[in-house]
Amino acid sequence: MKNRRNFIFVCLCIFLLTSCVDQQDHAGLILYKSTDPFIYNFARQIETYADGTLELEVFDSKNSQILQNEQILEAQLGEVTDLMIINPVDRLSSYAIINKQRELEIPVIFFNREPLQKDLALWEDAYYVGAKAEQSGQLQAELIMELFGSNPYELNEHDRNGDGVIQALILKGEPGHQDAEIRSEEVVKVFNKQGYTIDTLVEVANWERGQAYENMDDILQDYGNQIEVILSNNDAMAIGAIQRMRESGFFTDTNGNGQIDPSDENWIPVVGIDGIAEAVGLIKEGFLYGTVINDSDVQAQAIIELSEFILGKRSSADFSFELVADSYIWVDYKVFTLE
Amino acid sequence: MGCHRENTVKRFKANFSIGQNILFAIIGIVLVILIVTGSIFYTSFSFRTDDLIEAQSREINSQIVYNFENYINSIIETASYIQYISSLYDVEDSYEFLQDKYLVNTEIKKDVAAVFLFNTEGKKILGNELSSSTRSSIKTSSWFMNALNEDLIYHFQAKGEKSLSADSNEEVIIISRAAEYYENGQEKLGVIRIELNSQAIIELAEKTNLGSSGHILFLDDDDELIYALGSYTPNQLKMSMETAIDNHYGSFSTRIDSKAMYMNITPLSRTRWRIVIVHDVDETAQAKKRMLIILILIFLGSIIIAVTVSVIISRRISHPIYHLREKMASVEQGDFHAKVHVSGQKEVVQLSHTFNSMIDRIRYLMDSVVNEQREKRKTELRALQNQINPHFLYNTLDSIIWLAEHDRSEDVITTVSALARFFRISISGGESFITVNDEISHVSNYLTIQKIRYQKKFEYLFEIDPEIYEDKVMKLILQPLVENAINYGIGDEQETITIRGYRFGEGVAFEVENTGYGITHEQISHIYEIMHGTIKASSVGLRNVYLRLKLYYGATADILISSELDASTTFKIIIPSELLQKQEVRP
Repeated sequence: MKNRRNFIFVCLCIFLLTSCVDQQDHAGLILYKSTDPFIYNFARQIETYADGTLELEVFDSKNSQILQNEQILEAQLGEVTDLMIINPVDRLSSYAIINKQRELEIPVIFFNREPLQKDLALWEDAYYVGAKAEQSGQLQAELIMELFGSNPYELNEHDRNGDGVIQALILKGEPGHQDAEIRSEEVVKVFNKQGYTIDTLVEVANWERGQAYENMDDILQDYGNQIEVILSNNDAMAIGAIQRMRESGFFTDTNGNGQIDPSDENWIPVVGIDGIAEAVGLIKEGFLYGTVINDSDVQAQAIIELSEFILGKRSSADFSFELVADSYIWVDYKVFTLE
Repeated sequence: MGCHRENTVKRFKANFSIGQNILFAIIGIVLVILIVTGSIFYTSFSFRTDDLIEAQSREINSQIVYNFENYINSIIETASYIQYISSLYDVEDSYEFLQDKYLVNTEIKKDVAAVFLFNTEGKKILGNELSSSTRSSIKTSSWFMNALNEDLIYHFQAKGEKSLSADSNEEVIIISRAAEYYENGQEKLGVIRIELNSQAIIELAEKTNLGSSGHILFLDDDDELIYALGSYTPNQLKMSMETAIDNHYGSFSTRIDSKAMYMNITPLSRTRWRIVIVHDVDETAQAKKRMLIILILIFLGSIIIAVTVSVIISRRISHPIYHLREKMASVEQGDFHAKVHVSGQKEVVQLSHTFNSMIDRIRYLMDSVVNEQREKRKTELRALQNQINPHFLYNTLDSIIWLAEHDRSEDVITTVSALARFFRISISGGESFITVNDEISHVSNYLTIQKIRYQKKFEYLFEIDPEIYEDKVMKLILQPLVENAINYGIGDEQETITIRGYRFGEGVAFEVENTGYGITHEQISHIYEIMHGTIKASSVGLRNVYLRLKLYYGATADILISSELDASTTFKIIIPSELLQKQEVRP
């Protein structure tokens, strides 16, 4: 009798101990492509914020929706998963993922690629954390407008040919990608709205540095001295373009003041979006004029806070983000330049 | 109780024959080996088959999806180009140029049936010639409204959509998207519509081999069927649809209409369609079933072989042993001449040889015991026969002396000649068996001597059946009884001693009766006890006869005593029939 009571007591202790140890919730973190430096960095930040509250199992979908589907199912197979954090490969396919999650009753947070509003509305436990792409385009436009003197009718020396029109090269991400479409469109829209006349050349480089580098070859041959500004949908493409341009003689210290800056003759303003480390380095060296930081750090924080909120480990009073329409957390872009 | 049951269990266990034990052991071993190896083999085979099916289906799936996505990407590139070109030029100023750009696509690309640009009112701005019938409904069509509602994405639609082109009336896939264009220097919003020949998608699907009942389904985001390609029955289509809708997406094995299938549901990127690839793996799965049947056949075959082999082996071992056992049983019955000739296993042959030499030994030992006994009996008999003579001889010699003293020479002569005859018969050339005739004359000589000695105090008479005269009996069996009758029966009155001999059954019986007072039951018992040797008595005659009878004729030979008080006393010797034959056996 006494032995049995002791046994039950020991069992209870073990149960309590293990339940204490295992208090971390499990979540699957699915990345559309981990070789994308922005996503790579983003994932590190999510892991940093998750440390101690969420145990993450990270998957790299290698830009394949088929692989991603398998990974999403694999992540939720067997082991208890409390939450899925997904960076979709194809944002239009998210409805299938949301339907499946609704069936499995495991909440899902999307990031980086926004599902359609009607898809996110399919289930109350589907969320999106991201920045509004429009804002990035706006900030890019504002940065350039300021550089050009803030007066649409009297552009400063950066209008190299002095025709009163800004000749702009837009490096576009993957066509059909929401951010690529919106950013490319919005930046032009803002110029037009403010009364600037802008002549754009759109070059698709699919978010990739390598493609931007290669495509710049033809562009420099055809339009080399006409381009007055390069508006890139992301930093990687901007870096690729700068690399190619440097090889073609751009960005040299023509006035001999010991640094690359806008006063050099062959300097052209290039702006990116995302704010990856390499871009920040290039800004400090003077090659890249500026970038609009897609603040992955704050987004990562938002994702983890939202996770804790969903899992009931964080009260709404403790929640530092606004949950819009019960499904969205919008994080603002920030401009980063040398000033 | 418990003990008892345990015993029966033990006995039950011990009751299995060698053959059964071998049979059970072999079947047991074969069963265990077959079950273990069979299940290991089948499990690994089945896992490998499953893995193979999965890998194969996934490979096919990704190939098909890759093909479709490539195709869709190329279409979207076309659409992007049209959208891009539309946003560069003013439709008023460059109508011909733009129209040319639009139409060149339909001419160059076989799968592009028509390209249109509509304004927000549904009026055609650019593109192929419209057929007259459909113009009015454009503004309310879903492809048109979707494009305006959700700009920035391409809308794919295919459910029973007919081409709007005047040249064609075929079913098409529509890709629509909101697009900006310039008209009279003003930016305007419009909708691009690209019509794709559905043939292209069907051809893409036909290139793949999905097995006899494999098929491809296209579902839209409302789970509606867009296309079903490949081979299927209506029921299979229905079940595939249901399974696909229930699972949303993913890859898994399933059964469609009782056929093994592997289903891959993949959202086709950018289209909001899902491609459901149902791979018929029934044949591969059948291989599993066939393997199971083969394994079962091997299993049964092995068991049959094992049983046959073990039966043969156990027969070969147990048969000689059974044979040996039967022979031993006949030995048990007393047949020591049984020889065992067994062929078969070395051990059993050796065993039979050993058994044979054991039997030989036993027989030798038994023979020597019999001989020993025979010798012993002969010696004993001689001793017993020799016991008779001295008493009678002393007495007769005494009476001859007495007769001679009284000058009764006549009687002396009679007595001496009777005595001579008496001893001749007694000795009878060393034979132990003599004819009844000789035995009677032996008694008669004896009575002659005794009558002279007892002064004719008794009479005697013989009643012998002549039939038995020539039967041979053990000699000197009547004389001691007659001696007894004289010694104990002769009183003051004239007595009569009657000696009878007759056929008794198959044998012979003799009676010696003497008249007189008779004797009591107690006395009879006393005599019996003396005869049986339980009481020692000085008179050895009767016991001597009894012993000799038993010794030679066995248990059924006997001496019976009966008496009528004041009348007579009778001693009856019974010599059983079969023992008469034994006369021939010389002691």
